[in-house]
Amino acid sequence: MLFNSIHFALFLPIVFLLYWFATEGKARRQNVLLLVSSYFFYACWDPRFLLLLIFSTVLDYVTGIKMFEAENRNRKRFWFWLSVCVNVGFLGIFKYYNFFSASFADALSLLGMKVNFGTLQVILPVGISFYTFHGLSYVIDIYKGRITPEKNFVDYSVFVSFFPLLVAGPIERATHLLPQILKERKFDYSQAVDGARQILWGLFKKIVIADNCAEYANMIFSNSGSASGSTLLAGALFFTFQIYCDFSGYSDIALGTARLFGIDLLRNFAYPYFSRDIAEFWRRWHISLSTWFRDYLYIPLGGSKGGTLTTVRNTFIIFLVSGFWHGANWTFIAWGGLNALFIMPSVLLKTNRVNLNSAARGKMFPTVKEFAAILRTFCLTVFAWIVFRAESIDHAVKYCAGIFSMSLFTVPRFEKIDNAVVIMFLVLAFFVVEWIGREQHYAIARVGIRWPRPVRWMFYSLLIFIMGMFMQTTETPFIYFQF
Amino acid sequence: MKRFLRSIALFFPFAAAIYVLLVVLTGNFEAGLHRKNLSYRKGSIGYLYTRLQEIDRAKNTDILFLGSSHCYRGFDTRIFTRHGLRTLNLGSSAQSVIQTEVLLKRYLEKIHPATIVWEVGPASLMSDGVESSLDVISNDPNDLNSVMMAVKQNHITVYNTLIYSVYLDVFHKNASFTEAKRKADDVYIEGGFVEKDPQPYQIINRSTSEVRLNDKQFAAFENCVSLIKRSGSKLLMVQAPIARSLYASYLHHDAFDDKISAYGAYRNFNNILALHDSTDFYDSDHLNASGVAAFNTALMSMLSVAQ
Repeated sequence: MLFNSIHFALFLPIVFLLYWFATEGKARRQNVLLLVSSYFFYACWDPRFLLLLIFSTVLDYVTGIKMFEAENRNRKRFWFWLSVCVNVGFLGIFKYYNFFSASFADALSLLGMKVNFGTLQVILPVGISFYTFHGLSYVIDIYKGRITPEKNFVDYSVFVSFFPLLVAGPIERATHLLPQILKERKFDYSQAVDGARQILWGLFKKIVIADNCAEYANMIFSNSGSASGSTLLAGALFFTFQIYCDFSGYSDIALGTARLFGIDLLRNFAYPYFSRDIAEFWRRWHISLSTWFRDYLYIPLGGSKGGTLTTVRNTFIIFLVSGFWHGANWTFIAWGGLNALFIMPSVLLKTNRVNLNSAARGKMFPTVKEFAAILRTFCLTVFAWIVFRAESIDHAVKYCAGIFSMSLFTVPRFEKIDNAVVIMFLVLAFFVVEWIGREQHYAIARVGIRWPRPVRWMFYSLLIFIMGMFMQTTETPFIYFQF
Repeated sequence: MKRFLRSIALFFPFAAAIYVLLVVLTGNFEAGLHRKNLSYRKGSIGYLYTRLQEIDRAKNTDILFLGSSHCYRGFDTRIFTRHGLRTLNLGSSAQSVIQTEVLLKRYLEKIHPATIVWEVGPASLMSDGVESSLDVISNDPNDLNSVMMAVKQNHITVYNTLIYSVYLDVFHKNASFTEAKRKADDVYIEGGFVEKDPQPYQIINRSTSEVRLNDKQFAAFENCVSLIKRSGSKLLMVQAPIARSLYASYLHHDAFDDKISAYGAYRNFNNILALHDSTDFYDSDHLNASGVAAFNTALMSMLSVAQ
């Protein structure tokens, strides 16, 4: 059940009405309803994987309690590693087995040994990377003594399976989400209206910008061998807008949906393309994953406290692991490595925490220096996205080589270029709105807030109309569902 | 909570009204750039508009032809007229069974044909029918059947085009429209046939595909059969000849033929006529003049034997 489907458009209001009218505001009932709805939502993809989700939930629930009640350190460690190994093991089998077996076979073939480990014909359970990390953070936090385990299985299960975040995040923390689940939620008009508005903006990003850019990005990336440099650059730009609007659009819908149920989820995006350096970009892109790696990998490895070499090593580790988290392909690892390289100057010069506020804060336009920094960071990001999107490292290298050729200075040529011009115009308009709203939680949070209601509603209606005129007519899943 | 629900209940009709207004405004822009999901096709390539104007003169016709371009480019009304038969060809571009059902509901009673020859090929039952929906919505006054068809299709372009087309219907914006009889190398012949100027055969390579019938189309097929049976008209379902190369691209013809023939008289002319791709077709889908003559002659002899 995709967020941008008619099924979700029916599912959400039904759950919303039951939640606020049939539970009498009792947290226990609200949570039972949320759990049943979430399992139904997940089962719509593939009911078989619901068992995997339930197993993972039970495992972390039990190990959490067992760790807390453990009489000695060894027993506590046993339960901790049991949970970590089983969680990571499932992830490894479903997501990485074929990659590791093929890579190992390739490595052995270099030594003249021919082996065939066979491939597993398995479908990647949707959301497994997200709910596994979700559960891991819970278990680690208990192990480290930061939190106590949740005794109520239903409440804990809602924390893992809450449907807005189940399949593509944000990756929540028990410290943030569990307290909200444990208390009764009271309906708040402003919160609900804000949630509905954020859903609308998320749908606009996904349906109008991401899906239309995807059409051209896919076309150009799959025919990159014969395309000119300028066309390849256009393809890279289309993908840059696609992936941002696809994932941040998803996150907006998830956050907005959660707000309809009186729950605030962690923010996942904060206008990353207005970043002035790569370090800032990573504080603004997929924030829940970046902070997860920071808290559960970078800091335990020593973070930046062990001297320059340790910092460099740890930075590379988290970026490579972060890349690998996205999928079993060398392109993702290379993308992670590339970002580690990009961030390295600011790590070495200790300037990685210079740009903590949004660009041109309190002003309409950035300074020339800020603009140059934003442009430079954007170009580096576009370059890295080529590696991310390419089918293979070889494809990425050829794609980049194709851009940096004399044909870069020709007019781009691809099918339906007239429509692409309209899409680019929409992207430009979208970025203007994003720039204006960059200090808000999401771009249209304050747009028209002081306008008379009919005028404000006309603006929202205009967004719906643009969606109706530009939506794709085939099903378009979110990119991050595959991760 | 009540305040929120009241706002939502007010917002949706408001947004719907603005949406309709903006679709109408957008429809009035001629530039296709702005109209990705709005495709109004008055007087499109299949001549459906002109064909529908003939319905008033077609009461109690001998044969009514229905189907896709295989139909309106395959049944030459002049050949049947020469044999003393009054015919109307109500084929239309990519007409799928869902659109056939709409046309039958609108016009079957009015035309009241003695016989209906319905071209039913795998394509008409496999397609989503969107292209033909746009054709019907744009060229025929809309009624509740159009709305039902749009709901069945559940396609944003169909909805948008229906909104725009209903606006044009209501305000008689296209009352003075006339369709040219000649378009490029096509000529409209009275009775609904479209004749293509002679041209060399063009091969269009296609990959093989399983015949997978669309459930909605098949439900509409069953509705059409029962509509025709109730009307008292004789029904002959045919699969028009297509180039061998195209015919071979569909797998499991026998199963398809068996399935259709369970619903009434059915002939697959690909198994009856021995036509040649290069001499009897101008492309993989459509017969040229000699192919049409052979097909129509065979059909007439079949009908006379039946009578």
